[in-house]
Amino acid sequence: MSEAGTRITGGCQCGAVRYALHEEPTDPHICHCRMCQKAFGSFFAPLAGVAVSAFELTRGEPAIFMSSDQTERGFCRNCGTPLTFHYVESPRIAVALGTLDEPETLAPRAQYGIERRLAWFAALPGLPGDRTTEEDDPALAGKIAATNHQHPDHDTAVWPPAGARSRGQGSARDD
Amino acid sequence: MTDVRITGGCQCGAVRYAVHETPYQVGICHCRMCQKAVGAPYFATFTVKNASLEWTRGVPAVFKSSANMERGFCRDCGTPLFNNWIPNDVVHPAIATLDDPSAVAPEYQSGIEARLAWTTDLSGLVAVSTDDAFKGYEALLTEIAATDHQHPDHDTEVWPPA
Repeated sequence: MSEAGTRITGGCQCGAVRYALHEEPTDPHICHCRMCQKAFGSFFAPLAGVAVSAFELTRGEPAIFMSSDQTERGFCRNCGTPLTFHYVESPRIAVALGTLDEPETLAPRAQYGIERRLAWFAALPGLPGDRTTEEDDPALAGKIAATNHQHPDHDTAVWPPAGARSRGQGSARDD
Repeated sequence: MTDVRITGGCQCGAVRYAVHETPYQVGICHCRMCQKAVGAPYFATFTVKNASLEWTRGVPAVFKSSANMERGFCRDCGTPLFNNWIPNDVVHPAIATLDDPSAVAPEYQSGIEARLAWTTDLSGLVAVSTDDAFKGYEALLTEIAATDHQHPDHDTEVWPPA
């Protein structure tokens, strides 16, 4: 049974796949294992789980790659965003924290797969770089903003906006 | 062409690449566009010239997150593979897709306007190995290992295996 009123939303970069969680996710964590690294093209997978019955697809559906016979990894076939992690026999499913509309609200509390943690992982927060994208290159930031094809961080009634051109593979240059 | 040859690819092995240049400008980007592309708090990439990147198996799919920004991924398994600002003559592959990501350490961070507060102390979180995490679930871990569909971290002549 879902917690009354809980509705936490998220989705992929292009907006073809959107979801809502109807309970608070548990065990927010990052996993450094090599399978998670490859699935996310990242140093770790950030995940938190809910009951499958509390996971609602509100637009589209993920493509699935089975990284093992036991493991389904969901992603958007149109833009590639890694979205979900699910053991086929489990009643729970995890979502990628970076795909939440408000990722700052769910901080990881543990790290798994530390046998593959990269040696320089602990040093990342201290790396040089204290400027925003606007400060780094305002002209570039302006160009990106003018043709931003990313779905906004909230649900939309219609997406892409009427009149927008195709954004997928082979889309026409639209600048 | 130099003697440098550094290989990598996606999780399923449908897309494999080699870079023929020593990676430079290695960094992590926290911007919200990069977060969404990888479903994670930042995108970690290195830089090589376009001419130094060779696709040795398959080709990536591309999503244009803005008019001039291509984000490459594997259409079969979803692995995010690279960023490419089209007007430049360089490309930014994902460090974690290298067969040996430990060889390419980040040197800077950018896009900090969107940096998630919780990224500052991740290394201090309770740390558990995969073997320890699966205590009591050894059969599941054995089954995963026995049916691992991930491409190995080296080039292969034939994939998937016959």
